[in-house]
Amino acid sequence: MQSDDTFHPVVWTTWLAAAALPALTTRNPLYLILVLLAAAVDFSALGRRSPVARSWRALVRLGALVWLITIPFTALTAHYGTLVLFWLPAAWPVIGGPITGEALIYGIVSGLSLMTLLLVFAVFNVAVDQARLLRMAPGFVYQAGIVSAIAVAFVPQMVASWQEIREVQQVRGHRVRSIRDLLPLIMPLLVTALERAMQLAESMEARGFGGHASPTDATVQAADQLALLGGLAALGVGAAGSGFWPQQQLLNALLVGAGALALIWSFWDQGRRVKRSRYRRWAWGRSDRVVMAASLVAVLIWVIAWLGHGEWLFFYPYPPYSPWPAFQPVAGLAIMLLAIPGLLLRPAKEALR
Amino acid sequence: MIRLDRVTYSYPDQPMPALSDFSVAFEPGELVLVVGPSGSGKSTLLRSLNGLVPHFYGGRWAGRAEVFGRDPVKLAPRGMADLVGFVFQDPEAQFVVDTVEDELAFAMENFALPETTMRKRVEEVLDQLTIAHLRNRRISTLSGGEKQRVAIASVLALQPEVLVLDEPTSQLDPQAAEEVLVALRHLNEDLGLTIILSEHRLERVVQYADRVLYLPSLGAPPVLGSAREVAAILPLVPPLIDLGRRLGWHPLPLTIKEGRTHARKLAGRLAGSENRQNGSPSPSNGGQPPIVAVRGLHFGYEGHQALRGINLEVRPGEFVAVMGRNGSGKSTLLRLIVGLLKPQQGQVTVGGLDTRRADLGELIRMVGYVPQDPGSLLFNDTLAAELAFTRRGHGLTADPEGSSALLQRLGLESVAARDPRDLSGGERQRAALAAILVANPDVILLDEPTRGLDYAQKHALAELLLGLKREGRAIVMATHDVELAASCADRVVLLAEGQVVVDGPARAVMSNSQVFASQINKLFRDPRYLVVDDVLRALARGTNAARSEE
Repeated sequence: MQSDDTFHPVVWTTWLAAAALPALTTRNPLYLILVLLAAAVDFSALGRRSPVARSWRALVRLGALVWLITIPFTALTAHYGTLVLFWLPAAWPVIGGPITGEALIYGIVSGLSLMTLLLVFAVFNVAVDQARLLRMAPGFVYQAGIVSAIAVAFVPQMVASWQEIREVQQVRGHRVRSIRDLLPLIMPLLVTALERAMQLAESMEARGFGGHASPTDATVQAADQLALLGGLAALGVGAAGSGFWPQQQLLNALLVGAGALALIWSFWDQGRRVKRSRYRRWAWGRSDRVVMAASLVAVLIWVIAWLGHGEWLFFYPYPPYSPWPAFQPVAGLAIMLLAIPGLLLRPAKEALR
Repeated sequence: MIRLDRVTYSYPDQPMPALSDFSVAFEPGELVLVVGPSGSGKSTLLRSLNGLVPHFYGGRWAGRAEVFGRDPVKLAPRGMADLVGFVFQDPEAQFVVDTVEDELAFAMENFALPETTMRKRVEEVLDQLTIAHLRNRRISTLSGGEKQRVAIASVLALQPEVLVLDEPTSQLDPQAAEEVLVALRHLNEDLGLTIILSEHRLERVVQYADRVLYLPSLGAPPVLGSAREVAAILPLVPPLIDLGRRLGWHPLPLTIKEGRTHARKLAGRLAGSENRQNGSPSPSNGGQPPIVAVRGLHFGYEGHQALRGINLEVRPGEFVAVMGRNGSGKSTLLRLIVGLLKPQQGQVTVGGLDTRRADLGELIRMVGYVPQDPGSLLFNDTLAAELAFTRRGHGLTADPEGSSALLQRLGLESVAARDPRDLSGGERQRAALAAILVANPDVILLDEPTRGLDYAQKHALAELLLGLKREGRAIVMATHDVELAASCADRVVLLAEGQVVVDGPARAVMSNSQVFASQINKLFRDPRYLVVDDVLRALARGTNAARSEE
């Protein structure tokens, strides 16, 4: 329900790229804090519209807690750097020695990037319905998309029946004391899940799922199968090769690449022949375009900064570098564009109330 | 024109055919109700209309099928999907995606319809099934009746000529079933859609049907005729038709309205001021202390108050039916009594034990809980092992004689060595009951025990429960089934919004209600008549009285 009053899933995917890129490519705390703030603006705007937000909020809180716990841990164990805050007796194991400002900063910063990523993904998950995103996937991965969509819908049902089965067996005097005692729980769960899966398959069949493939001759079909098998084999050999013969990097990479290509071609060719259409409910509104453009600009600036001006983003608190990060206003502005979705959503939220 | 011609079909690995030399023909635009006991081939017949039989199930098929000029056996379900829409029994298990509008588009996407057509048809079916307000909702948040209407809409989007429904209302409460049936009648009358549906609860559907097809158990020939003709020959029928047949009413009434004209003529001959309870006279055990006592009970799930100040007492030998809408707190109440949930406020005592303090192991020695879905209980390879498992769980010694006596009583002795999962619906329900009763509980809790049972199975269950009650066990049953409650409960407790609205003798509660009145009660509007036997007895007394006056 929530995705109907936010933006197009493609817009959000671009936003995700724009927001995750800084979080992944820099440890500079100033940029990270900006991303965190921008994501927080979006999250708070979304949070009030969506019931999914509650569980993510709990997860974000947990992340923050873990972060806070790891900061003193790093600070107390690193003992490296020039900004000495205080000394602990050297006789104390592990934590004894100088406690430095650099170690403290490093502790804060290393958690910060994880925290930022977590919040960025929280925003994305609250904003976008994954099932629907999967269904927008290009034709040749449509089958994979629908399978994932079903799996996503299946999990809550399974959790509910697990709960029910556990209670029912408990009332029959069943207690779980060893692995063998799980049988009375697992058997009914499997049977229920299987029955449900059969019913779903029947329902999909009755509504013409996977039906209307255009006829193909045997050679084309054989080519598809061959590409599938060959692709899988090449992928497997290449992956194993990188472990066993590390000196043959190029060959392994070629094998993996060729295998992946063959697989994609096979799926694409098979998917191409299944005739189906898509019920598109997403019109691109003005605000969709604004957010899309902002995200694209942010990505562009960031990629230029990252590839062309590495020194803008670089940060390492320990000597020989400075504990104070560099800051480039252009990159900072690019990040601030990420808060636009949250700002655009606000009036709608008021209207909702 | 829909025609099956000399069809014989067996499921894989089944020695007996599900349909044997079966022929039938339906006219376009009619609403046909398919009835018959469990296992008579209703589902098989319906599935052969769109090719799910034999394509999805495999097995051996002989004979010819034809639906509006197409051959389902040749075209397979996907080739029939735009001609025959199929709706399944379980509203939970037929949805592919998670929002209503996407679900409606699913079938059309498979048929590669252009986007503009899809949009138009989605709007149409949203209106036809009056579910436009649900369009953006997640399917998991819908009620059962809403889900079934979405399921119907999702197959109607392909604009089929025929709608086939396999027991579409058997999992629904009466109000939700009514929603669905009203929608179906509208589709049949306004759009001329041919509708073929199977249903156990005749009283819900029979007045809407143009014709009824009765499939007796295997071997006997099927009967297809007008609702009145077929109702006259069915072995088990709803109370209204039953009464009509016994008293020789002509024409046989199918609706309460038709029945009232007959009932009015009868009024003078009915005598008797005696106000009896069903079965044994009302709680002669009033002096006994209650075995279940609920006081000021509050319970809430996350952000939702399910029970708000419930007071309830149940004495040994009492049969209490707990009724109310879906979500009124019936199941929660049962789970609190058995100790699965602990009261947040107030107190629940069972046999003097406070559920908040007592160990679950002690509680279940007194209380047995039969869940809605017997499938969540049964897991052993044989029914006998299932009973032994419960006894072990209760710390009781194995008791083969007692167990086999119990199975005999439930009519399950012949299947004791079978895998419980292979049993029929009614047998499975009884198997679950056996697995609970084997521990000999004084209090039996049942959650919706009649879902999906046919009349014969329901009748057998009612007899069994009354027998248990006479042994002095207390029974608390959450149910939507008005007729079942009328035929065996002493007391009815009506819940709404987590509160007890009414708690009183079944006769008083059920005759005072619009929704919870039994058919016979609606017919006479008199608290003395709740079930068929009440009327027959009064009639016999009336005749005797008249004779003695002469």
